[in-house]
Amino acid sequence: MKEEIISARKNLEETLRKITGFSIFVPEAKFFSMVCGCVGFASDLRGLLLASVEVSNDNIKNLLEDIANSLSIKPDIIYARKLPGSEEIVGLTARELCSRCKKEFSGDKPRPDIFVIKKVEER
Amino acid sequence: MSIPHPGHKYALERIISEARSNKNLNNIHEFYLAGPSDIVGSGRVTLYSPLITDLKEMADLAHEYKIEIDVVINPSCFGGTHLTPHGYNTILWYLNQLNNIGIDSITVAEPYIIELLNDFSMKTVVSCISMVNSPQRARFFENMGADVITLDPDINRDFKMLNAIKKSVSCDLRLMVNEGCLYKCPFRYSHFNLFSHVTTAGMKPPIFGDYYFDKCISIRVRDPEQIIKSPWIRPEDIKKYEEITPFFKITGRANTVSWIVNCMNIYCSGNYDGNLLEILDCPSELRDLYFIDNKKLEGCIDYWRDCDKLCIDCNYCKMVTNSALKVIDNERRDNKCKEES
Repeated sequence: MKEEIISARKNLEETLRKITGFSIFVPEAKFFSMVCGCVGFASDLRGLLLASVEVSNDNIKNLLEDIANSLSIKPDIIYARKLPGSEEIVGLTARELCSRCKKEFSGDKPRPDIFVIKKVEER
Repeated sequence: MSIPHPGHKYALERIISEARSNKNLNNIHEFYLAGPSDIVGSGRVTLYSPLITDLKEMADLAHEYKIEIDVVINPSCFGGTHLTPHGYNTILWYLNQLNNIGIDSITVAEPYIIELLNDFSMKTVVSCISMVNSPQRARFFENMGADVITLDPDINRDFKMLNAIKKSVSCDLRLMVNEGCLYKCPFRYSHFNLFSHVTTAGMKPPIFGDYYFDKCISIRVRDPEQIIKSPWIRPEDIKKYEEITPFFKITGRANTVSWIVNCMNIYCSGNYDGNLLEILDCPSELRDLYFIDNKKLEGCIDYWRDCDKLCIDCNYCKMVTNSALKVIDNERRDNKCKEES
């Protein structure tokens, strides 16, 4: 798992740089497990703006899906976390949701601080 | 040299011990640290809240080595509490305690506290948060009672202004060498105000994040020229400032003890061959993203000291960025990790 998470962080940073043309910085990447049952991959970001995520939505979605799969995560939702009221993206998350969070995270804008890159599939 | 101190006794013992082994004790004039956060906050992130008794122990230890201790009481905003009877009495009680335990000086940003300090024997050091960047402002603070003024780092590369301030006041001046904040930062007032509140017990708002820090770092990720424009002073360039003042301050009391020791050793030696971002305080997060070759910055100060800062007509900092700054890719990062391990 150590090698996979090291490689996931590098892959995310390098690919975001290629996609956006900026030297996007990924200071930290985490494989997480939550008390509710959700598991996932989360990364802190510097230098990424919402506009770049909107333009490269599909590329970023594919990238995060690949990274999540490499960590045996099947992401139900992929989202960018914004600093509220700002265009700065401070995190990207690919998350396999528990049944409660699947309901809570459904829809296009489940929370005001997140930009949904991959939506939870409606049942 | 004024050295940052995170606040726990272990840090002070370690810094003194390292300074002794590197024969730097003579270069150290004082240590500065924040006091108990349940009394007053400060203008920066604070990692530890010592008790008054801890401060006394640390003051005694520093005095054994003939080094002074400065306590920072420099929130930019007290939310008006200092002008209430309770706030006034609390601050007065606190200043009395600090005076009684042998604290040498207080760094302060609020003019009202500067006036209160006139009744104590402790020296009054005006904080950089008071943004003293002109002779007019320097004279105001000196007339209020300042013994030392820490100048606004935004004028670190404006020698005409530095000289003018020097001629205008008789108190000591102090220059911060490695703060590394954005030049003419638009977040500066707001960020200091935020710290003032989050470092004071009972005033902490439940914030969702540090917008100013995230934004500041992000700006530099997208535009690294801003790191070069920041008014830091290289260890080698300190001698150019000795015409202005012999007093310099290293910032970074929210960093690890090892980081502080490294900065202290480098600035005391006046020579550094490495990544400038390793010794800058504010953007230290970016030391894993960019490598700024300090040796390639040799001579830049001679351009900047007379620069009129009208960047629209000048590409000097861009040229310096292109020659001295490299993005650290993952391969280079891996090699660095291997070398260090």
